[in-house]
Amino acid sequence: MKQTVTRNGVGAWTTRKYDHEKAVGTLAFTDDLRFGPELLHARAFRSTKAHAEILSIDVSEAMKVKGVVKVVVGENFVHRFGLYLHDRTPLAIGKVRYVGEPVALVVAETEEAAEEGMLKVTAKYRDLPTVFDPIKAATDNSVLVHPELETYEHVPFITPFPGTNIANWFRIRRGDVEKAFAESEYVIEEAVNCPQIAHGFLEPHCCICKEELSTGNLTIWSTAQSAFALREIVATGLGYPLSKIRVIAPPIGGGFGGKAGMTVEALCLAGAMDPDIKGRPVKLYIPREEVMLTSWVRQAYIAKIKLGIDADGKITAIKNNFYFDTGISAEYGANPVRSAGYSSTGCYYIPNVWTDSYAVYTNKPFGGAYRGFGLPELMGAMEVVIDIAARKIGMDPIEFRLKNMLRTGLPTCTGMPMNAHSLDTIVEKIVDRVKLKEKEPATRKGWVRGKGFALALKAPAMPADASSSALVKILGDGGVEVLAATMDMGQGAYTAYAQIASEELGIPIEKIRCYYPDTQSHPYDWQTVASRSCWSMGMAVKRAATDARDKLLALYSEYWETPPESITIEHGVVKCKAKGKAEQLDVRVQNGFPMPSGSFVGGPIIGSGTFVPPDVVNPDPETGQSPKSVVHFTVGAVGIDVEVDPATGAVEVNKVSAGYDIGKAVSPMNVRGQIEGGTVQGISAGLMEAMYYDEHGKLLTPDFTDYKIATSVDVPGEVDAFWEETPEELSPYGNRGVAEHSMISPAPAINNALFDALGIRIHTYPTGRERVYKAIQEKKRGETDIWEYPYALEQSYKNAVKEWK
Amino acid sequence: MKRDVNFILNGRPVTLSVEPRTTLLRALREYGVTSVKRGCEEGECGTCTLVIDDLAQKSCMVLALEVEGRSVLTVEGLVAPNGDLHPLQQAFIEEGAIQCGFCTPGMIMTAYAFLRKNPDPTESEVREALAGNLCRCTGYIPIFRAVIKAAKTMRELGAHPGAAR
Repeated sequence: MKQTVTRNGVGAWTTRKYDHEKAVGTLAFTDDLRFGPELLHARAFRSTKAHAEILSIDVSEAMKVKGVVKVVVGENFVHRFGLYLHDRTPLAIGKVRYVGEPVALVVAETEEAAEEGMLKVTAKYRDLPTVFDPIKAATDNSVLVHPELETYEHVPFITPFPGTNIANWFRIRRGDVEKAFAESEYVIEEAVNCPQIAHGFLEPHCCICKEELSTGNLTIWSTAQSAFALREIVATGLGYPLSKIRVIAPPIGGGFGGKAGMTVEALCLAGAMDPDIKGRPVKLYIPREEVMLTSWVRQAYIAKIKLGIDADGKITAIKNNFYFDTGISAEYGANPVRSAGYSSTGCYYIPNVWTDSYAVYTNKPFGGAYRGFGLPELMGAMEVVIDIAARKIGMDPIEFRLKNMLRTGLPTCTGMPMNAHSLDTIVEKIVDRVKLKEKEPATRKGWVRGKGFALALKAPAMPADASSSALVKILGDGGVEVLAATMDMGQGAYTAYAQIASEELGIPIEKIRCYYPDTQSHPYDWQTVASRSCWSMGMAVKRAATDARDKLLALYSEYWETPPESITIEHGVVKCKAKGKAEQLDVRVQNGFPMPSGSFVGGPIIGSGTFVPPDVVNPDPETGQSPKSVVHFTVGAVGIDVEVDPATGAVEVNKVSAGYDIGKAVSPMNVRGQIEGGTVQGISAGLMEAMYYDEHGKLLTPDFTDYKIATSVDVPGEVDAFWEETPEELSPYGNRGVAEHSMISPAPAINNALFDALGIRIHTYPTGRERVYKAIQEKKRGETDIWEYPYALEQSYKNAVKEWK
Repeated sequence: MKRDVNFILNGRPVTLSVEPRTTLLRALREYGVTSVKRGCEEGECGTCTLVIDDLAQKSCMVLALEVEGRSVLTVEGLVAPNGDLHPLQQAFIEEGAIQCGFCTPGMIMTAYAFLRKNPDPTESEVREALAGNLCRCTGYIPIFRAVIKAAKTMRELGAHPGAAR
């Protein structure tokens, strides 16, 4: 019998925690915290060279600026940091590797003085040869971005190749692809590429660090998605015990992966830990035009995919070659490469698989975590190649997908059986809602209309041992505090946790509060990434709430002298029908219950819960095979209806329908928010977003004037977000991750729709107005494909595809 | 050299002492009104939007000295003296129009100024009106719903809460 009753438990449509504070403007973000006149401000002086030896740095003029306290350079702070691979120093040491790399940190009494001081620092360099093309970097070792790669520490599940620019090489080897190709009716080989893109969160990075003078203890306030991972990376880099570092993570203004791991904090510490500064808090606010230069963006990629298909339209073999341009650091970027690799048959069952997925160093700002984590990259290519293949063999692209679908129980590319899902139901609904099988006339005069479709899939990409823990405290007035170190950066984690606690405790959601992470008060959680929180931390919160409930029932059982099974908690009232009792939770749950003897039993009720995935094994480094490589896959699909103006190349989205099998919607308001928001972000990425550089490696698109993201007028006319609920076996309520997934496949769906509209295949993202216009012109010249690889001298798509080994 | 600037902030007269180069955004944040956010300080993102004499403005593009004698309204000022939320704030909460919340104050102020001019807008007018305020989380869709809903509530109330300020 269920012993709890509540209105806003799991599955209820309820408003979100902290939205009130956000709506009235009182929620304090990191930049809103005040530290008084002791606070110092830091600003980075950055490299103007993409690859150069630093001959000298002159700080003398900067030190003359009124208010400048100190200028710190790389030699003053020699520590190497990284999540998976320790390849990053906060300040350049000896040489610079990209335009924008911090070379010196000016610390001053005011932000204005720090800026003025920064403008007065000068440096002399000796140019080194550069490499910007990831294919060249991977295949020709004449320029090494990290000649010291051999000396960098890394986790066992990534494989860097010292003496090359390859920071990680992930492989899948299953069956015999060459034999299967030889026996195939059709062999199709195609390539797709995409430049770096940026998160575009609206709150720039901001960090305040303070070293306590006498103890040397560090406190870090930062715009961090993952307080505990940040603490661990800093501790490892400094060689400090965890107990010397406290990380406080105030609410953040969007993350999307761009504030995961450690981002700008070590740079701030270089100031705060300086012998002349320590004792005073130092604030490092990253101006908008430096955000893309200071922390990671999404890696650029080039994907070549070769398919072998039999006479029935069954895919028998796949050979994947993925080059991820990870810029100058792969400390985080090594892992999306792996994530794409271990999902590299997409939503399809393919018996013979050969995958090489590389993270390649180049002299550019660095790539790392971004919503989708390797999968928008993989699916951006694969769903286009699948579409091309279907058309080439004369099959309907949707029938081709259904025929090869990775159905429940079939092995993924790593060999693990696919979890339960109802992807075919989703496909059916989208085909119907976007009328994918109907050709409709354009609604705008002189325009052409096309429809496109793409599947999506993603597993939480995390180490096998990513764990979570939570505490649930029942207060003396029947209120509840949930301590779960997830960062609620808008995805709605705290609302979901409050719903879970309400469900398990029978206490109204209004009385439940979740707090933003502080490593000093919260129990451990690995990171707020990977769409893992509502699942992994969800398990911990559910266990903690259940533990608290059991303790509460045991106390009332003793107090009322009745078995715990006879007690219920309904809307915060503890009841026992048999005994005719009904009592509000009150101070006794804190102080103890009075017993007939006059003494007290009980005391504050604290429930605890922990979780680590019990059965995940990292893939074999040689073959990529594993009995269970990831916890689960969430699948879905996107259907899109677009119109193109052939005169200008303008693209308008009439309608998009996106559905995902999420197992169970714990917090439907937030699930809808994630699907709607990610869909628009994915459309924005597909249609308008790219980071462009000049020939010297200088970023040309550092701010929102040049780096366009979707505004309100770019939103499709109709956005249909939906979900199916095929429960996950090992899960708090059957739920699977959903937050990243909506970003994965809008771009390839648009690509396929553009082919449908125009009859020419665009192999390069973004597929915005300019490129679409070019495609229309190429089509007039009789071309069937257009591709624009920024580093290729040879602009012929067909030749370039053949050249890549 | 600092100079004084006198203006009405959320219905209350204030005097701030500022450098001539100080933006209204930085002056207000320094004073303690932090609902105006620093998203770009280049007039691109809209997170610092507030209303000056009925006109939505990006406060990073206004010098503090320029508001001498004028009336400045931020999202804090939309809350009624009894603590009741403005219909826009309420609708943003109810419609799930808020995720990270960083764009929210500016977005609400743009919508507020817009609805004063156009109390019964179509969705396409709402889309146009909000085009200067970026939101990366929600895809704007629930924001459109919220503004339409708030407009309806405000028409039904027949009054314009916050208008007195």
